[in-house]
Amino acid sequence: MEKVIIVRYSEIHLKGKNRGYFERVFGINMEKTLKGLKHEIRRQSGRYLIENFDVECIDDILSRLKKVFGIHSMSVALKVNSDMESIFVAAKDVCNKTGTFKVVTHRADKTFYLNSMQISAQIGGRLLAYNNNLSVDVHSPQFEINLDVRENGTTLVFNEFIKGAGGMPVGTSGKGLLLISGGIDSPVAGHMLAKRGMSVDCIHFHSYPYTNLQARDKVISLAKVLSGFSCGTKLHIVSVTRIQEEIHKKCNGEYMVTLLRRFMFAIAEKIAERCGAQCLITGESLGQVASQTIEGITSSNSVVNSLPVLRPLCGFDKEEIIERSRSMGAFEISIQPYEDCCTVFLPRHPVIKPTMKSILEEEAKLDVQTLISESLSTLEIVSL
Amino acid sequence: MIYLDNAATTKPDTECLKAAEKYLNEEFYNPSALYRDGYRISKELSSARENIVSLLASPQHFDLIFTSCGTEADNQAIFCGGRRGNIVTTFGEHSAVFSAVNELRQRGTEVRFAALNSDGSVNEENLLKLIDDKTSLVSVIHVNNETGAVNDVAKLAASVKSKNKFTLFHSDGVQAFGKIPFRLTRDIDLYSVSAHKIGGMKGCGALIKRKNLILKPYIYGGGQESGLRSGTENVFGIKLFEYASIKRYNNISDNYEKVLFNRNLLIKNLNKSLFTKISGANSSPYILSVYAEGVRGETILHEADDRGLIIGTGSACSSNEKKRYSRVILACGLSENAAGGVLRLSLSPETEQSDVLAAAEMLNEIVGNRKNMMA
Repeated sequence: MEKVIIVRYSEIHLKGKNRGYFERVFGINMEKTLKGLKHEIRRQSGRYLIENFDVECIDDILSRLKKVFGIHSMSVALKVNSDMESIFVAAKDVCNKTGTFKVVTHRADKTFYLNSMQISAQIGGRLLAYNNNLSVDVHSPQFEINLDVRENGTTLVFNEFIKGAGGMPVGTSGKGLLLISGGIDSPVAGHMLAKRGMSVDCIHFHSYPYTNLQARDKVISLAKVLSGFSCGTKLHIVSVTRIQEEIHKKCNGEYMVTLLRRFMFAIAEKIAERCGAQCLITGESLGQVASQTIEGITSSNSVVNSLPVLRPLCGFDKEEIIERSRSMGAFEISIQPYEDCCTVFLPRHPVIKPTMKSILEEEAKLDVQTLISESLSTLEIVSL
Repeated sequence: MIYLDNAATTKPDTECLKAAEKYLNEEFYNPSALYRDGYRISKELSSARENIVSLLASPQHFDLIFTSCGTEADNQAIFCGGRRGNIVTTFGEHSAVFSAVNELRQRGTEVRFAALNSDGSVNEENLLKLIDDKTSLVSVIHVNNETGAVNDVAKLAASVKSKNKFTLFHSDGVQAFGKIPFRLTRDIDLYSVSAHKIGGMKGCGALIKRKNLILKPYIYGGGQESGLRSGTENVFGIKLFEYASIKRYNNISDNYEKVLFNRNLLIKNLNKSLFTKISGANSSPYILSVYAEGVRGETILHEADDRGLIIGTGSACSSNEKKRYSRVILACGLSENAAGGVLRLSLSPETEQSDVLAAAEMLNEIVGNRKNMMA
């Protein structure tokens, strides 16, 4: 009996005439994820079958596929010829030793000589006769045995549905540039949009020598976690040291973060244009810190001229964000104690509700364009 | 490249490396083996043991357990020497001792910490006050690894023994061995040393112990090192350790004078308005600790690194405030602002005059610029 993995997609089936496009991207993403492992992916009326893999790699394959957006659920199944004896042997194999069960049959092959009720009844009856510790409960069974009688003369037998990541295939909803800091929030923001099918590249701002190489490596690790969801391959790293020094020297210290964020957004927009990103993504959550008040957000938003800024975490509490960070596997990296911005520059009392007038007055003390182009000249691109 | 982080590790001595190389190649046998070649190696280890001990103590009264590092030697001393009553140590200990005693504290042993003087040396009066008839172990670092302060461990050990003759006295001698001329007195029961601070390799250290002191093993197994530290010996590392130690001790006075001269030159050339010295008059010339108030030590470190000068620092850009400043530096009584700017410049006999002059000039420039910027 051959083991196969059935992969079912989530929202794609709602698509109309362009469903083929979504299916194609979805297939490519699965191929990318399983690269290096022996396998074959076959599309079969609204689902995919993964076959010809080494059985000992099955856990590896499943854990990789759990990161592919667009998958609704997966099942490890036994593939047998569509004859009742083979189906029974497979059903026996996947059946628990004790407990209540029911047999659920889908009969895509309408030419099969029994209908689905008859198949379920016969296989269920034989299982009962084979093992006295089993009993049937069709209303709330402890486990189900699923039989999928396909048109090609084979039947898939399985007893478990493994939940997939859901969402849409990455790459079907355009491309965004995520401002990633090294904290908990931004990777979660990237993950959420990747789940909706957006491919996500990252940009990180550092202030070496005020911050260290460990902080930079931490961000690279976080970006790699994101790229594990096959959603992006590039991390742009830009130094804002000069900008921070200039703000520190010339402006009111309370405006350090407000002004710095305006620079970051302006630089990110330029990088987004270069790499073809159609929006900026941030991990801002309303009211979380001084710079994330609506006034702070207005201030940074106003420097972005041509792109939308998506803030998927805006209405989330910290706890909700942490939960998502844990489930995507980023939390342990995010809490490493390396600073992404040196506290030397951070004001004790940052301005919480800045007015545009006061911000612009402070910003006028700086040579904004020169500082931005100086920063852009420090750009490094790390392939993930 | 100018290397002034010799307290972190030193460059392995090329000559000694060459002499020890055969223990990686042709003399690869297991010293516990019974055949001729194995037995020969075990004799080589015995001679290494005796040769290293004799550099700072009489082999009649002291013997030596090879360990995988100074930290392991410290851990063996703490966990095997301090099992009952209370343990007295200082706030100036290296983490190898500090974390080990804190672990013992978690397990229920009372641990008492003696205060430091402003140069990082232990306050003797305070230390002695903490010792009572239940003190099983006292551990005092010989040369403080951050400030270079030298504790007179022979005198301290004698005072400890006069208060309680059953108390064991341990000293972490990692930054003193091969650098400070010193002999172990019989009041000192345990003394940890490490190879890579004096031209040996990482992964090799030793715990020197008073001969008739009965100690329990720390690592159990095949019974190597008289049963006190099981595990096949790192023969190459040990032979390199032996050669490097002998070489250092042959020149210990000349090296001391040279390093002292260079350290003083460094102090003289560092701009007094930018740097404040932490290391006191009675400190090892091999370590100079200074701080630049208001400038982050790590920022200076990175900038110096970019210019080809490697130094150490007493702080880190950690978002965890407890980890941002060195606990030893804070225990010396420095403010957080000062502690954030601590630099550790550590020399070796290979450090030349030109190195310290160039380093001083570079540091003056870096810190001068930063101070202007932050002003």
